[in-house]
Amino acid sequence: MGSFLDYFLGGIANGAVIALMALALVLVWRSTRVVNFAQVGQAMFTSFIALTAVNITGSWLIGLIVGIIAGGILGFIVHVLVMRPVRRADASGAIIATFGVLIALQSLAAMIWTAEPRAYPTPIEYAGLTIFGRVVPLTGYDVFVFIVMIVLVLFLTILLTKTKLGLSMRASAFNPEVARLSGVRVSRMLAIGWIIAGMVGAVAGVLIAPISSLSPNTFDIFLVFAFTAAVIGGLDSLVGAVAFGIGTGLILSLVTGYSDASNAPIVALILLALNLWFKPDGAFSHHKARSV
Amino acid sequence: MRDRWTDFTLRAPGSRFAGHALLAFVIWILLARLNMIIDAQMSYYLALAAMYATAMFGMTILVGLSGQVSLGNGALMAVGGYVFALTSMHWKTVPILGLPWNAVWSMVFAGLGGIIIGLIIGALGARLRGPYLAGLTLGVAVGIPSIINRYPSLLGGEQGLKLIVPYPEGGYPEQVLSEDAQFDDSALDEFLVDESAVVQAPLEEAAPAEGDLLTLEDAQQGVAQEDLLTLEDAQQGVAQEDLLTLEDAQQGVQDMPTDAPISEATPELATDPSDAFTTASDFVLQQWQASVAIAVACIVGFLALNLVRGRQGRVWQAVRDDPVAAAVIGISPSGGKISAFVVSSMFAALSGAVFAQILTLAAPSAFGLGLSLSLLVGVVLGGRLSLIGAVIGALLIVWLPEWVDSLSAELGMPRQVADNAPNLLYGLLVVAVVLVAPRGIMGGVSGLMSKMRRSSAPPSSG
Amino acid sequence: MVKYVLPLTHPLLHVVDVSVTLSGLKILDNVSIGIPEGAVTGLIGPNGAGKTTVFNVISGFVQADSGQVRFDGTRLKHIKTHHLTSMGISRTLQGVGLFPSLTALDNVLLGGSAQVKSGIVADSLAMPWTDVEQRRLRERAYAVMEEMSILDVADRFPSELPYPVQKRVAMARALVSDPKVLLLDEPAGGIGAGDMADLARIIKSWVPNRTVLLVEHHMELVMDVCDLIWVLDAGTVIASGSPEQVRTDPAVLAAYLGEEED
Repeated sequence: MGSFLDYFLGGIANGAVIALMALALVLVWRSTRVVNFAQVGQAMFTSFIALTAVNITGSWLIGLIVGIIAGGILGFIVHVLVMRPVRRADASGAIIATFGVLIALQSLAAMIWTAEPRAYPTPIEYAGLTIFGRVVPLTGYDVFVFIVMIVLVLFLTILLTKTKLGLSMRASAFNPEVARLSGVRVSRMLAIGWIIAGMVGAVAGVLIAPISSLSPNTFDIFLVFAFTAAVIGGLDSLVGAVAFGIGTGLILSLVTGYSDASNAPIVALILLALNLWFKPDGAFSHHKARSV
Repeated sequence: MRDRWTDFTLRAPGSRFAGHALLAFVIWILLARLNMIIDAQMSYYLALAAMYATAMFGMTILVGLSGQVSLGNGALMAVGGYVFALTSMHWKTVPILGLPWNAVWSMVFAGLGGIIIGLIIGALGARLRGPYLAGLTLGVAVGIPSIINRYPSLLGGEQGLKLIVPYPEGGYPEQVLSEDAQFDDSALDEFLVDESAVVQAPLEEAAPAEGDLLTLEDAQQGVAQEDLLTLEDAQQGVAQEDLLTLEDAQQGVQDMPTDAPISEATPELATDPSDAFTTASDFVLQQWQASVAIAVACIVGFLALNLVRGRQGRVWQAVRDDPVAAAVIGISPSGGKISAFVVSSMFAALSGAVFAQILTLAAPSAFGLGLSLSLLVGVVLGGRLSLIGAVIGALLIVWLPEWVDSLSAELGMPRQVADNAPNLLYGLLVVAVVLVAPRGIMGGVSGLMSKMRRSSAPPSSG
Repeated sequence: MVKYVLPLTHPLLHVVDVSVTLSGLKILDNVSIGIPEGAVTGLIGPNGAGKTTVFNVISGFVQADSGQVRFDGTRLKHIKTHHLTSMGISRTLQGVGLFPSLTALDNVLLGGSAQVKSGIVADSLAMPWTDVEQRRLRERAYAVMEEMSILDVADRFPSELPYPVQKRVAMARALVSDPKVLLLDEPAGGIGAGDMADLARIIKSWVPNRTVLLVEHHMELVMDVCDLIWVLDAGTVIASGSPEQVRTDPAVLAAYLGEEED
């Protein structure tokens, strides 16, 4: 048994990667009104590509860069080949298609890299830091992950709210007709949304991989966690996704610490169910009644 | 144009019941007959297909008619499997009624368990729109195995609960199953069949195969070496010895090329399995399992047919198409969504009870996310809106991996590729079907048929 | 044509002093409207006057801040939309609101959902009494479709039908429950002159067996079919009475002229 503080600190890195994955879900939702259940599949696949790059070059950083590029490309491919052609009227179809992509990516990864779990290197030693002469369960890597997440969130917030690109993306998502009339190339904006989400997901994957190990379906559980965080955050809100992503990570870390790791999915499920019971459309979204 | 056929059937109350019952009965007779003439391996596939069809009737109603995408039906099957296992292990009499327990009661209680869980999840889900519901049910799919692992003493943890398949009274295998039965040669054969059933379990589990953990051989050798092996020991052997978890076992099977080295280890088993079985008995375990699966599928199919082709089917579609318009004409939208969930959950639980009997095991790994995904795959491929589509989907789910296996063996693909080819194919097919033919194979067929009918019929007025 | 003297002595449906505020805007301000039995009542007014909101309050889509809806002498509290038809109130939606994946006949059949007593268990077992029930409902559906001259398209899907025919299917769906009050939300919206004449003939043929409240933009239709008209503007009732009275009412003219200038 450790102390509350230990578990709390231990949850930070987990929370940060959940936040990043939730961020990717939110980015896709904001740009195309689709929950991309294939997101973890894309992240897993690009992490394998990144790992290959690391093995060839020996550089963690090059792996990250290759992963980010691959993530953007994969996001673009999924958008153009699968999600864009799905008929608007077929709401179930869009959801089902994302699961089709998930299955395909997982089996493709197993074909190429086998299903064996692999270790993924870290740029910073994965060992507890010593604070005030005491070894705490917070590792240098955890701090690194947290910092990367903060930087990424700041960057995305500025990109999406302060730049012309970000405003065009918002306009395309919320009112495509009006956006089109005002000269925004809507389909390009949607594609950019998927590309950015793919990149963010790739960063999340590369950061998760050292913690959870890398195999075609070790990330599955993060899909549930990230979805929980994104939904509680309202699916539309970057800040909400990050805040509740970290919150979910901390809660799960406490649950794991005080009881058992196998309780984590159950707690996530309860959180999700409670949230959806009280806020069927997510915590921060405004319920829009259909006009009759 | 009046719907003259339905008018005609409604004129004689009960004729709809009779028609559907006759159809289900004829199909049952045909499949039961088929079950008697095919070999044990085919019976095993038949059992699996019937089991999947049972669950997919529920998916047709839930995903197709009521438009609620659920990833949780595999977990709902777990409820049925565990209720079946627990009640058949622990209960000797029916509560309250005091009647002696038998397997039918276990099925009934499995169905009831499904209804209760369906009410809970349905009530939660009825308030949710598409992606939220999909996410919630995904959580259920991931969460239920964790819950099972939480209570190892009651639910058997990772290893699961091993199940004694309830045979009909007086049937041949009964003596094999009684604990202190003499274990003669034929019984050993019998057991090997049993064991291969466990080992060959759900081939379509989405979990991609792991490395080279080839444990099938070990397990079979382990079994063969022991001479005085009661069935219980043997089953423990399957479940625990040689580190053979169900998952490993599946992977073992997936790892095996069709003409595997197994034939060298136990030639009499692998050269032609049917020989050994048919000489030992004309009603082997697989055939019994298949007959249970067929009977359940036919009963559930009968219920589904009544619902889908009757008023309830229209209600579900109305709620899916336009909840506001449905409410205005007196249909409760949440009521419609919940009832679809309850029905689908009951069907899933019954299917899960059958699955547990096919595996002779109720274990969390059998009811994981992979099972839920394969149900979704099946119902999308076959056709989301039709019961025949559900059957086609079930057949595909069972047949496709076999076909890919034999194909990849022919092409000499590396094992790593061959093992994952079926799932890759599923994923790509699902995407393709959603894009090209959203109503699946059956939708495509009926679309063609109605086009032909339209073009051949004289042009009607209006 | 019967002349109605206001206030009505025994309105079948009575909206009493209803006020509605939606996102800070006062949509309805103390609106009172009476609907006499066995007549066609019109609810008109310029765009944004709050006509559809009145419908939505009656249907339970919108909660009134104050005031009440009385039906057949009793107050309707906490109206659940899906309970309306069983009470005898049926409505159509703006546009058509048909279920695209069901045939015209199936759409109309569902209109009788409130009359169906058998539950899902009886349905799943195809019990004989469900057949009897369905047969009765079908006969009723055929009769209503005959009345609306849409029986020949019973097996068609909504997307295969011209818009005016779809609107008739939607009306048949609302009629099949044999409602005490039928609320028609813009029945003439989007249909041409010929179909409009048919529509007027059909609605007039219902008097005095049915009670109708209709919201409509087409003045000609309203003046033609209504026995009593209520005029709303900016959330308040500005005029009421027979078509002739309303036609010549200066307040009504002013309200509509204001709209023309917009």
